[in-house]
Amino acid sequence: MRDIAGTVACIDGNTFMVSDASGDVGSSSGTPVGLFAADTRFLSRWRLTVDGECMTALSVDDSEYFEITFFAVPGEAVDYVEADVSAIRRRRIGPDLTESVTIFNYGERDMTLNVRLEVEADFADIFEIKFDVGDKVGAHYTRVGPNELRLGYRRGTYRREVVVSASEPAEYDPGGLRFAVRLRPGQQWSTRLQAVMLALRPDGVDLRAALRAQRPNDSTLPTSMRDWVAAAPTLDTESVGLQQVYHRSLVDLAALRFAPLSLGGESVPAAGLPWFMTLFGRDSLLTCLQTLPVTPSLTPPTLRILASLQGARTDDVLEEDPGRILHELRYGESAAFEEQPHSPYYGTVDASPLFVVLLDEYERWSGDTALVLELEQEARAALTWIDRYADLTDTGYVWYRRRNRVTGLDNQCWKDSWDSISYADGRLPGFPRATCETQGYAYDAKIRGARLARTVWGDPAYAERLESEAAALYDRFNRDFWLADRGFYALALDHDGTPVDSLSSNIGHLLWSGIVPPERAPRVVEHLMGPALFSGWGVRTFAEGQRRYNPLGYHNGTVWPFDNSFIAWGLRRYGFANEAARIAEGILSAATYFEGRLPEAFGGFDRDTTKFPIRYPTAGSPQAWSSGATMLLIRTMLGINPHEDHLAVDPALPTAFGRIALLDIPGRWGKRDAFARQRPDQR
Amino acid sequence: MSEASAFFERLSVAGRDPRFSKVCGSVRFDIRDGGHLEQWRLDIDHGELRVTRNGGPATTVVNVSAQFADAMARGEVNGLAAIARGEIMVDGDLALALRIGRLFPRTSGPPQRHDSDAGT
Repeated sequence: MRDIAGTVACIDGNTFMVSDASGDVGSSSGTPVGLFAADTRFLSRWRLTVDGECMTALSVDDSEYFEITFFAVPGEAVDYVEADVSAIRRRRIGPDLTESVTIFNYGERDMTLNVRLEVEADFADIFEIKFDVGDKVGAHYTRVGPNELRLGYRRGTYRREVVVSASEPAEYDPGGLRFAVRLRPGQQWSTRLQAVMLALRPDGVDLRAALRAQRPNDSTLPTSMRDWVAAAPTLDTESVGLQQVYHRSLVDLAALRFAPLSLGGESVPAAGLPWFMTLFGRDSLLTCLQTLPVTPSLTPPTLRILASLQGARTDDVLEEDPGRILHELRYGESAAFEEQPHSPYYGTVDASPLFVVLLDEYERWSGDTALVLELEQEARAALTWIDRYADLTDTGYVWYRRRNRVTGLDNQCWKDSWDSISYADGRLPGFPRATCETQGYAYDAKIRGARLARTVWGDPAYAERLESEAAALYDRFNRDFWLADRGFYALALDHDGTPVDSLSSNIGHLLWSGIVPPERAPRVVEHLMGPALFSGWGVRTFAEGQRRYNPLGYHNGTVWPFDNSFIAWGLRRYGFANEAARIAEGILSAATYFEGRLPEAFGGFDRDTTKFPIRYPTAGSPQAWSSGATMLLIRTMLGINPHEDHLAVDPALPTAFGRIALLDIPGRWGKRDAFARQRPDQR
Repeated sequence: MSEASAFFERLSVAGRDPRFSKVCGSVRFDIRDGGHLEQWRLDIDHGELRVTRNGGPATTVVNVSAQFADAMARGEVNGLAAIARGEIMVDGDLALALRIGRLFPRTSGPPQRHDSDAGT
């Protein structure tokens, strides 16, 4: 996996290692390279030398996300390498790191080689790396044993350790280990290196032991990956590119699964490499919504863990309220010592409505009413949160204004960077703010909550109340957010109710939520597919012509695959099948330029100008909801929808694809196939 | 009586909590003060809450110092952070411990500092 320029990543959920192309990790305080688990860097240096020379990789095999093989020779890369000595490093990530190193002598002489592994552990919290904070409060310690090197960090009762050892005799010192290797011509030598990561309680119990128990041996991970792929529907298409994108997305979703300790072995999606390798409310919910037709097993554990951590009290640091679904959960030192508010942080206004939306959509697919009953209390609490805690101005909308003024988020919608919500002329609105798509989610949550209340919870009175609230919100929203002269919805309302008049991709989510009256939909669609928003690859987050538009602006002009997948879903909901197909074609074609892996975002440059999608410099990749976008776009092209106990299929393919079949789609109907073929008259 | 003891005494009066209507299990708190061990046990059966001093086996065992238990009773503790920090040690069903954590009050305020013994 090679998406941070020049680096290679090996992933197993929230345990991952990012190294350079030869497998080494050097000192680099401000970049997320090294071995990480649970938001902590356990190895900040891991560098192999032979006779003092670094290795250069000739070839890297990273076809499995949890295992990487580097074929390397000593010395700097030169035009012509004549190497007598070569090496293979096979790295595998599981609960811990293992790396087998094999050295070959293909020369004609006997050799005595000084093989050295340099090791350092800074135990940096991911946020110390992000903000480039060097000083740590606690103390590091080093213990050199005859058969291991133990590096540790202690701050009060907080203690993390990494224990490095090798299967072959080695000489250990505080900076690493050394092997004296004698090789005759044609001989080879191997050792198996191990780095065991410990999160130690004061009584010596390792918090990570439970993770190790879930993975009794090395072979479990490849098996679980094969089972994961085998359990998913098969995609049959003549498009090699689409095949590749589908397979890559499926495998990346597997790579990002991690098992929080409180779930007893069940997995939920981490949001993305390298900065977001943890549970995010919004990302995990949207990823589950995208992937229900393909990998529905992600959804129950995601709903359960979000329910178990649902807000119960009022806390201005965590921005917790009763019923609020969390934004971000972290396990590192900054969360442990409450220097960052991520234990967990609740600063999001969309996760709570989306929790209800997912619960309903999941039931439509699975028929799993048991889960809907199990989570009734939490779903009701999330719905109550919308009206009781999010309506900061008593105007009937979901608003946000951060209460944690030190480390809280300014913008608590999906576009959560500081400058993402602005007027067309560039002015930033005041607080609180109410963004348009959140109102759509709230509307949808009420409609769907009503369905669950009527059909599963046996509470028709609650259903009627929710429906009348939804109807009132629909009217209110269409009165206050609609810019009649422009023909689209305002991005947000300013604190005083003034519409924030910029044109943005957010209006596409409104179609998905169903809050747009059918007679207004054509004008919204015209904007979405017009030149200011549609780049040819996809809908830009922010339209050309707005003052803050920048094709490389994180939320101000780039194209986000996840965003587009929900817009496409919305377009199909309103009958704009051709427009949805255009988006599917654009995004899925873009993926082929990223080796089948859709990044978090890419540049908003016009497709006619650049011919290929422009990489966004710090885009996360793999990113769960970008992998999920593939699945949702396939869903929209096939037009598959659960309809009572059967699966309805209503395909609309873009001309780029002649034939798509998705076989064995799981659901309440058992398994069904969906076929789509280009009709000759559409060519 | 310690603040923690007073907290558990109050809880034993509460009897029923609708938030736990789907929860079954037992949580034992082992509160240590030097060599002294104080044990409180919560049995939850579909929302019925029973508090005893029974030291028998439980689904979940929570180990804390007496000082820290008092801080929990005062609402000064973020449970997840304290678990990551090693100040609360949970054995058994962690999910149940997190649910039970909602019984404790939480006062809102600036982040607590926990650096008194840093660098040891």
